[in-house]
Amino acid sequence: MGSDYDISDDDADYYDDEEMMDGTQDDEEGDDDTESADDMDYGDDFKVSTKAKRKPYEVEYESLSQQAVEKLMQRDVDHICGIFGVEPDTASLLLRHSKWNKEKLIENYMDNANSVLVAAGVTLPEPAETSARTHNITSSSQQQSSASRRPATRGSKLLGLASSSKSGVKSPSPPKALSRTPSRKTDEPFVCTICFNDAPDLQTLALDCEHMFCTDCWTDYVMAKVRDESEHSIRCMAEGCALVAPDQFVRTILLAPAGPDTSEEEQAAKEKTWDRLQELFVRHFVACNTNLKFCPYPSCTNTVSCPSAASKSSLTTVVPIVSCGARGIGAQDSASSMSSSQQFVNGLGLKGKEHKFCFGCPIESDHRPVICSVAKMWMKKCRDDSETANWIKSNTKECSQCQSTIEKNGGCNHMTCKKCKHEFCWVCMGPWSEHGTAWYSCNRYDEKTGVDARDAQSKSRASLERYLHYYNRWANHEQSAKLALDLYAKTEKKMEEMQITSALTWIEVQFMKKAVEEVDKCRMTLKWTYAMAYYLAKGNEKDLFEDNQRDLEKAVEDLSELLESPIEAENIPTLRQQVTNKTVYVQKRNEIVLEDTAVGFLEGRWKWNVSVEGFDAPEEA
Amino acid sequence: MSGICRTRLAEERKQWRKDHPFGFYAKPTKAADGSMNLMEWEVGIPGKPKTAWEGGLFKLVMNFPEDYPSKPPKCKFSPPLFHPNVYPSGTVCLSILDEEKSWKPAITIKQILLGIQDLLDNPNVNDPAQSDAYTMFKNDKTAYERRIKQQARDNIPK
Repeated sequence: MGSDYDISDDDADYYDDEEMMDGTQDDEEGDDDTESADDMDYGDDFKVSTKAKRKPYEVEYESLSQQAVEKLMQRDVDHICGIFGVEPDTASLLLRHSKWNKEKLIENYMDNANSVLVAAGVTLPEPAETSARTHNITSSSQQQSSASRRPATRGSKLLGLASSSKSGVKSPSPPKALSRTPSRKTDEPFVCTICFNDAPDLQTLALDCEHMFCTDCWTDYVMAKVRDESEHSIRCMAEGCALVAPDQFVRTILLAPAGPDTSEEEQAAKEKTWDRLQELFVRHFVACNTNLKFCPYPSCTNTVSCPSAASKSSLTTVVPIVSCGARGIGAQDSASSMSSSQQFVNGLGLKGKEHKFCFGCPIESDHRPVICSVAKMWMKKCRDDSETANWIKSNTKECSQCQSTIEKNGGCNHMTCKKCKHEFCWVCMGPWSEHGTAWYSCNRYDEKTGVDARDAQSKSRASLERYLHYYNRWANHEQSAKLALDLYAKTEKKMEEMQITSALTWIEVQFMKKAVEEVDKCRMTLKWTYAMAYYLAKGNEKDLFEDNQRDLEKAVEDLSELLESPIEAENIPTLRQQVTNKTVYVQKRNEIVLEDTAVGFLEGRWKWNVSVEGFDAPEEA
Repeated sequence: MSGICRTRLAEERKQWRKDHPFGFYAKPTKAADGSMNLMEWEVGIPGKPKTAWEGGLFKLVMNFPEDYPSKPPKCKFSPPLFHPNVYPSGTVCLSILDEEKSWKPAITIKQILLGIQDLLDNPNVNDPAQSDAYTMFKNDKTAYERRIKQQARDNIPK
């Protein structure tokens, strides 16, 4: 099976190889492996995890493609069509306007259909619009003539105020072109009021408000709105007109068959704009629905549905880590220009990484076992403190009297605090007066005052120390995870060489990949356990947590060390045995940490040393 | 696409010369060599009669982007104006001048200027752009009125 495989083969074979590998492993290693084998099953991750019995630290979720979400939208649209007896386009506009809240829309619509239709930009408002002066359409639409019976009310738009007050003084003589605009049927030449094009064969379009403009202006406008502003609701171009273009109208603009003078490029740009618009619709729908979240990975258009983590209160008991089912960034371009070994390594790195993210917060990685609010608190602390604190720690001391932070940037050890004028020795931190005549050198044995001074200082630094303890370990795991990937790349290369020089097969290398993946996963867990431990209140629970953490850490470090050990042809079977065993062990330890923590959240077992929303206030020590 | 901007501005200029509201002026600036720069206009907006702004003529520069009329022009009082909705730089904060709010390609220069004139005596307290004028307008209407009148006097056209 493995022998006819060519490692430097093109990337296209990659997925097939994966499957092949999975099969082999399942045969060889049996039940223990099912989970990690699933992990390698590209694209099908979520299905597997939802079908299988859920672990306590997993949430139930479903990944949806853009098409699937569009189907959901269509279902709502059809529903509204059925109830209101309106066109699908109208139903879409109504739903988008009401933020896809069907119940509320139905209620409001039953209450006052007309006001809802106007607010959503489906129909024109009853009273004369704010733009009455410039676009006073007297001849054409019946809607307008019936509407203009009522006097102009003071609109909210400033322009409206200006024009109504001013027009009272000035003679109501709109520019010639404007008065001609609405009369579609007359033979008088039409002039587009935006580009002032008056070509006789000018293509024009207008919404129900009959504000007519040339097709080119409409196209530019729609493209600008969609592409530059990411706006999905496209209103009429006339000043103050609130009518929204229905999908069919926009479609006509963007997807009309290309004319003879439309370049291919333009046509492609239009099609792209239409696609972008569809994505914007989906994004809007997803944003309006708390059960859904759009995948945060660049250029990914998948959505995840996770109703169990939709409410804020649920986030105190679960860590909703989900995956949209896709992998990699910019799937098409990353696949093409790489050899399969490169891609293999990248499969572990950023490029082929599963789109894993947290459904409950903006952290775009797996922050299990710690819950969102605590993870967020930690991230904030790290951003605020870590670098600064590190620098302060290594470069400054505190005045033993007023605790001001002092940097010594030259000169002698006789320090005078700028703030409180306290004179002390930089070396022993004791008052300078005690140095007597021993100026500029501190060879005194530690006397009480010096010790006290340092005590006070160390106390104020204790909290910093504590933080740095956790931070350094946190950062260390992050760093090590990165290094492990480098190590894998190196090993992979070495293995490749060995395949050529010795009788080893490709398949014999694969235990490495699994091990590295597992180490990467565990380091992620470990990383976040430090964030958790920093905030956990002292007590038995914390001790137990730290025991689990220690066991996992030890196992991970052992495995890491094994991975670092030199690879010789003769020791490969032993190494393989060891690594495989360790990998399984590490996996189990990781499971224990995740499971125990998750169960702890469900049981309300964890107590914090700070106040966390949704938890009891910390007990005073 | 790029052609529209200048055609439209030339047409705006034509329409303006044909007919424009009383007391206003609007003209493209002249480059050093005497040629007309359609992309930048100098305009004057008179304060409305029977308001504290009466008598003043307030100078404003309009800068049109290349993608005008898809995008609105930038309107900047020069010198900056004491007004709650005018930024310290002089830029006017008005919904019809914001492409993400009420800007529409069909809005003409005349409509913009009338809109700004109306804004002078009808500041929008929900959208303050400078703190001086905003605080005074909120806390001490008489002092504000006095200040506006003084500003109008300072801007009487010669």
